[in-house]
Amino acid sequence: MSREAYQVPSMGTQNAFGNDAGYTNAMATDTPSVVYLCGECSARVPLKRGDQIRCKDCGHRVLYKERTKRMVQFEAR
Amino acid sequence: MAPAPTNTDWSVEFDTKRRDHLFRNPPKDHTAFPSLAESIKPHVDSFNAIFEDSKILQAALKDIGTKTFLDGDIETAEQRKLRIAEGRRPPRRNRLNVRVREVFLDKPTLPPTNKYSTKNREIYPSECRERHATYRGKLRARLEYQVNNGDWMESIRELGQVPIMVRTNRCHLEKASPEELVNHKEESEELGGYFIVNGNEKLIRMLIVGKRNYPMSIIRGSFVKRGQTYTKFGVQIRSVRPDQTSQTNVLHYLSDGNVTFRFSWRKNEFLVPVMMILKALVETNDREIFESIVGGATSNGMKNTFVTDRVELLLRTYQAYGKHSKSDCRSHLGKSFRPVLGVPADMSDYDCGTEFLRKVVLPHLGNYNVTETQDYDKFKMIIFMIRKLYALVAGDCAPDNPDAVSNQEILLGGFLYGMILKERIEEWLRSFGPIARDWSIRNNGATFTDPTFERDFLSKIVKRSNENIGNALEYFLSTGNLVSPTGLDLQQTSGYTVMAEKINFYRFISHFRMIHRGSFFAQLKTTTVRKLLPESWGVLVSCPYSGWFSVWSVSHIPKVLVQLGVQSTSSVALNDSVVVQLDGRIIGFCSPQQALKIHDTLRYWKVAGKNNIPRDLEIGYIPNTNGGQYPGIYMFSQSARMYRPVKHLALDKTDFVGPFEQPFMEIACVESDLVPGVSTHIEFTPTNMLSIVANMTPFSNYNQSPRNMYQCQMSKQTMGTPGTSIAFRTDNKLYRLQTGQTPIVRPPLYNAYGLDNFPNGMNAIVAIISYTGYDMDDAMIINKSAHERGFGHGTIYKTKIHSLAEKERRKSRREITKLFGFAPGDEVRGDVRNLIDEDGLPHIGIRVKEGDKIAAFHNVRYDAASDTYVNVDGITHYLKYKDAEVGYIESIRIMGSENGNEPIQNISVKYRIPRKPIIGDKFSSRHGQKGVCSQLWPAVDMPFSESGMQPDLIINPHAFPSRMTIAQMIESMAGKSGALHGHPQDSTPFQFSEENTATDYFGHQLRKAGYNYYGNEPLYSGITGREFAADIYMGVVYYQRLRHMVNDKFQVRTTGPVNALTGQPVKGRAKGGGIRVGEMERDSLIAHGAAYLLQDRLMNCSDSQLAWICRECGSFLSTQVAVAGSGSGSRARAAINPGAVAAAAKAAPNQQAPGGAASVGGALGGQAGIVRCRRCARQATFNDSRAEAWEDGTGLRYVGGDNVTVVAVPGVLRYLDVELAAMGIRMKFKIDN
Repeated sequence: MSREAYQVPSMGTQNAFGNDAGYTNAMATDTPSVVYLCGECSARVPLKRGDQIRCKDCGHRVLYKERTKRMVQFEAR
Repeated sequence: MAPAPTNTDWSVEFDTKRRDHLFRNPPKDHTAFPSLAESIKPHVDSFNAIFEDSKILQAALKDIGTKTFLDGDIETAEQRKLRIAEGRRPPRRNRLNVRVREVFLDKPTLPPTNKYSTKNREIYPSECRERHATYRGKLRARLEYQVNNGDWMESIRELGQVPIMVRTNRCHLEKASPEELVNHKEESEELGGYFIVNGNEKLIRMLIVGKRNYPMSIIRGSFVKRGQTYTKFGVQIRSVRPDQTSQTNVLHYLSDGNVTFRFSWRKNEFLVPVMMILKALVETNDREIFESIVGGATSNGMKNTFVTDRVELLLRTYQAYGKHSKSDCRSHLGKSFRPVLGVPADMSDYDCGTEFLRKVVLPHLGNYNVTETQDYDKFKMIIFMIRKLYALVAGDCAPDNPDAVSNQEILLGGFLYGMILKERIEEWLRSFGPIARDWSIRNNGATFTDPTFERDFLSKIVKRSNENIGNALEYFLSTGNLVSPTGLDLQQTSGYTVMAEKINFYRFISHFRMIHRGSFFAQLKTTTVRKLLPESWGVLVSCPYSGWFSVWSVSHIPKVLVQLGVQSTSSVALNDSVVVQLDGRIIGFCSPQQALKIHDTLRYWKVAGKNNIPRDLEIGYIPNTNGGQYPGIYMFSQSARMYRPVKHLALDKTDFVGPFEQPFMEIACVESDLVPGVSTHIEFTPTNMLSIVANMTPFSNYNQSPRNMYQCQMSKQTMGTPGTSIAFRTDNKLYRLQTGQTPIVRPPLYNAYGLDNFPNGMNAIVAIISYTGYDMDDAMIINKSAHERGFGHGTIYKTKIHSLAEKERRKSRREITKLFGFAPGDEVRGDVRNLIDEDGLPHIGIRVKEGDKIAAFHNVRYDAASDTYVNVDGITHYLKYKDAEVGYIESIRIMGSENGNEPIQNISVKYRIPRKPIIGDKFSSRHGQKGVCSQLWPAVDMPFSESGMQPDLIINPHAFPSRMTIAQMIESMAGKSGALHGHPQDSTPFQFSEENTATDYFGHQLRKAGYNYYGNEPLYSGITGREFAADIYMGVVYYQRLRHMVNDKFQVRTTGPVNALTGQPVKGRAKGGGIRVGEMERDSLIAHGAAYLLQDRLMNCSDSQLAWICRECGSFLSTQVAVAGSGSGSRARAAINPGAVAAAAKAAPNQQAPGGAASVGGALGGQAGIVRCRRCARQATFNDSRAEAWEDGTGLRYVGGDNVTVVAVPGVLRYLDVELAAMGIRMKFKIDN
């Protein structure tokens, strides 16, 4: 669809949450830990970059990413 | 008090509360829908049989037996001669015996290398789906070995991990209750029966094979090709060993009356005179053979000169071999087949012959520790086959049809799995021989008695063999290819497995119910195999209770038969004696009159349950006929047969009837078919012949039969509800209907199969009217308001694996070179941050479109000092979303390794793509009436009824006359009255008749609800508000949304990717290519005189280009760009080709670039636009004017050749010119004006 669809000639980004399109410095020093959910026991598993993938509680090997906490909104068109 | 067991009785009622309760509280005891589980039982049971009770694998190990290898060198012929001349004894060689005593298969568990999970080390199917892994368990074998006659030593060997069928005795969920299933992320009605290979659900197809242990007479033209004097006649038997592997034996008739025995061994065919086999089996003489074929000297058989002549010849020609005694024949066979049998070198020829008879000749009659009685059974069977062969040649019996279900059975998935397992184990044992010899050579001729051997056997020899049997089975399941040195007596090498697609539940369940005819079937040019034969009645399509297993003992039946008067003497005259067989073993003979009595008695006992006759015994009584099927009583008790329940009239009890016995029985379909004194059985219900899917077509007996077939096809392509555990599924593509409903019109079976757990469509108010211009044939109009309320709204879930690990480097210890996340210190754009989270993975719930960055990663190197991964370059790389369609990120799974010690390398992202119905999407009723949505019509403009009702859907009346789907009309009435009264309508076929019509039944209901008796009502135009002249047929029809949607199909382009060589558009929708306007389309456009359209399609949207051509010599190739003249005044404006730019503009008026004429010439002829024909120019001389001269790239100066122009030509024309020039052919174009 998108290839042929009419592109609205708008400025900036198309994405809904286009706050600032500038550059930000990502993780200058320490890697942040992100919390995942265990696929077996639903425990919250914080992982850092390069950590081994398993639940800290039950050792399960599938983790789900949590739904984003940000506001998600789209333009209704 | 214990809670009451879950009720498993279902009616046609909606049962809303009961189903809701079941859904909220999955039963703790057993499933509420046992008939569903029953329907896939053959898969699960056949897998269970490999390791459990019937111990198929144990029988296989017995058949494999002990493999023996000798050390030292094999004597050459000269050495042997020399040794015998010197009178020395043969050198003593040591024997190494190996055998597999037992095979164990464990349930799937974590490998011991994983030290992190302590509580629960079991691996469940859902984890394998989510991790895109294989659900497999460790296979181990108890290997025993001995040297010479020493003690047996044993070792447990690990043979890799083999895939395990879900819900079998090697699965954790075998006896799980619905509640436990839900706790383990399965459907509450998970059936199992499939394997999980790399996250895909794979199942082994059921395959049609010849009926086991029944000698079939066959006339096949290709038999003539076996050799000289071979004829088309043969008798073939598929002899099945206790381990379910089979060996086909064929007797061929030769034109001189002789008979040869053919078999195939390790993919090679061998022919043996049948006499030699007979004489090798038992100690016998020519008279005994003659009399056992023809009959006693006083019998009627002696009068059959056709047979006596041939038997005489059979015996006479065999004299030439000069092998008479049993030991002579066995030794001869042994000597001949020693090289292919794989027996140890020191085995005697006689023993080798015995081994041959055990393995190849009718193994179903004796396969392990063959006794003399068993050999005699084999002898009798071959004699019988010779008789049948002669009867076939003489025309006394008809050939059996190998395409009829009566001569077929089913190869079940589990059995095939067991066969492959057996073969792999045997190959593994055989492989020790060469490895041991190699070991001996490496150790300077060490022998098996050396002490080093005992030390090295396990560590060096067994270790070197390929012990990974699990890998072979995983390969088989993932590709469906059979890699086998023996061929397993099967006809094809590929296509054994299919993916169990969960497009909707009908599709899924159909995979388990289908039967594969073999891939050769599809290529057959003759249509005889497709013939619908009367003996196939009710067997293939459904078989509610297919007989796959017999746990009954049949060992007492021969004794019972002898009491009934079966005796051992016989003659070739069929009027005197007919055969009585049980599972391919000849019990004896009796007269035809006796045979009928025996059959009747046995069947009575079987149905009544007396004398321990098994309930599922197939008693095939074939009466004496004039040149029909060869008569006799053939009983079958073994597994893999088909059978179905019918009612025995006399006893009023269930009798299981198989396809072999069925053609000779009198089974009435309905009561009106009963013939007094003839009919013995009656169908329980006429719908027994319909499959699960076919039963769901309402009133299917009112439809033209092809329409019912179309519906069965289409219900499997419906966008329905694949299940309730969608969140835990990772199928590549999953379709889901958001607004599924239970049909108002459905049979009671709908509830029995629990199909409300998987709704497949919506009840729609359908008006049959030609209303707008948009309802042309097979198009339908959807009410826009219905659309907005969610009619037919669907979703597609796509799961994609994004992996960082490179695929190329296998085996080598994978090193981590990339990690998800932004490179430390890298600057990241804000719009990327909006898509990608801190961890380098996308946010869940965001919208992604083509080309969006969805994951970030960077290169790392492992730093052993700090035990971390270090990034050096500080560059972030991105993975992109490549689909053309906008989607949303539904979920992300981070897949760890089985060992639980690796960082993120793979993520599995599930995308959700909403698909509301749009113009061009496909819909269908349940009667093979598919149509495409042609317009979403505003509700205000829809017609309305007196009560203000508007249709959800308008279809054109022309859909009916030619297709004759009367059942849809009945469904419309039934649905309408059902909706008005609030009760479900039973739509079982065959319930109405001419006297008691469906129209009256539902018409009365409609009248009671205040509607027109015939289901039509006055409608008013939504546009004018006036009543239509005719009453419109309007009712409630269940509509399915099919998965074929325009968004997956549309293919349009004006410009786009082109082929690099020709400049023409590429093909293929995925690549953005076009649909070819081919010769026929071109012809049609010419015929219409649509010249401009042709020009547009074939030139402008294809490879049109502007090219310079010389007017004088008519050549593309000789034109060249002149380098800007060296002189100061030479580069004058006048030097530009006169008129060329104008010509270019004329040639391609629609390609005029916005820059003006100069840029057209400029694009072609370089900066200055000076193009000359090199061929028409001459080298400049001293006295040529500088203004006229031009310069080529090498500094040479020329004069002339300026009569060039620009033309628009197809790019391939110039390419053709170049190609022809390369062959020395010049093309010349004549340029006018």
